[in-house]
Amino acid sequence: MTTQSNSNLKTRSSNFVILYSVFKRDIGLALTRKTDTLGAIFFFALIVSLFPLGIGSEPNLLRLIAPGVIWVSALLASMLSTNRLFNDDYQDGILEQLLLSPCPLELIVFTKILAHWCCTGLILLIASPILAIQFDMSSETILVLMMGLAIGTPILSCIGAIGSALTLGLKSSGALISLLALPLLIPVLILGTLAVGAVGSNVSFSVYLNLLAALCMLSIFFGPIASAAGLRIALD
Amino acid sequence: MLSAINISCQRGRQMLWKDLSLETMPGTITFIRGANGQGKSSLLRILAGLSTPYEGQIRWQGELLKKNLDDFHRSISYFGHTIPLKGDLSAINNLSYLMQIHGLSYSNDVIEKALLDWGLPARAIHLPAKLLSQGQKQRVCLAQLLLSQSVVWILDEPFNGLDLNGSSLLLTTFAKHLSQQGSIVLTSHLHTSLRLPNSPLQDCVESIIELQGV
Repeated sequence: MTTQSNSNLKTRSSNFVILYSVFKRDIGLALTRKTDTLGAIFFFALIVSLFPLGIGSEPNLLRLIAPGVIWVSALLASMLSTNRLFNDDYQDGILEQLLLSPCPLELIVFTKILAHWCCTGLILLIASPILAIQFDMSSETILVLMMGLAIGTPILSCIGAIGSALTLGLKSSGALISLLALPLLIPVLILGTLAVGAVGSNVSFSVYLNLLAALCMLSIFFGPIASAAGLRIALD
Repeated sequence: MLSAINISCQRGRQMLWKDLSLETMPGTITFIRGANGQGKSSLLRILAGLSTPYEGQIRWQGELLKKNLDDFHRSISYFGHTIPLKGDLSAINNLSYLMQIHGLSYSNDVIEKALLDWGLPARAIHLPAKLLSQGQKQRVCLAQLLLSQSVVWILDEPFNGLDLNGSSLLLTTFAKHLSQQGSIVLTSHLHTSLRLPNSPLQDCVESIIELQGV
């Protein structure tokens, strides 16, 4: 080896520092491109608010459909934003550089998913109790809804990331991602709404949340690995 | 250092070239020539480990790439067709991010000096990169080379967009890298050889690889 690369080892930073800079930049970019980031949230708020307007103000009916409406809207809002997860970096050629980073691609992808979740899932989660009030939900139901969203939205981001990696560089990637990812997200939707529905009945809602948490663990583990493999193939 | 053994490249159903072997040596330039569409960029991508060859192997320090990928990635710099800059971030932010991706943290002063050395006007350093001209973007990207401390530079058309002054800066940078026992693999449409009379590289060791169709 040449001395050139060894003499300056002090400046070499660990994987953690690399991941931190990826995270910081993704969040920073999301903050500069407010329209893109807020678009998904506005979409979520709009759809959820349209339902009470369209269906009428029958409290029992609203209470009944609330979990489904909120979960479906969260799912669609999350799908709307995932197609840009890797596409921007792909167009700019930065994805190539990320592939050549000494840090494993899987970890970089995980960090990008995390940053994406902070800009969508987390905000959906924070906005959901305000929107739930429109449906006259009780405070306990709202709490379970939020717990479900907290566990469920990372799954949406992880599975969306796989779809985004597989459709990289395609023109009509948006529709294709939905086709690829939505069927995989149906269990999340079912478990999330069942958990909210279980409040006040004789079934414990924690059963559904536990199942959701198991799915969450699986997708956090396999999502980045599958996405990274997809990215490598897309750039081959 | 970096060696390719009997590699071939296939795109779609067409074999672009086959049975190509090369090895980069410290202090030498490998110049890849070939007509448009002959697979020069594909060869560079294969060498950088981005694509896998159809046949044959790529070795780094005598071992297969997969075995010491981490060390390999720390030792190479690759630039492809697209200049890896984010349009809405400033040149200085872009460059420091590119360095961070490769595991190098520099202070803003060092980055700024590197950009000024590459002839970027002081006021352009903090402008969003989308306002820079093509040549200036190329310079931001090339400023990474000396900072990167990597041993092998794999460059796809590095002279694109550069003016005369930029080209001679690049040649000087090459000469410096070669004198530090680095090695360079590149393609260029503008030159048939880099050993131009009166250039800093006139005495360098250059191996020319001519890509020919199958």
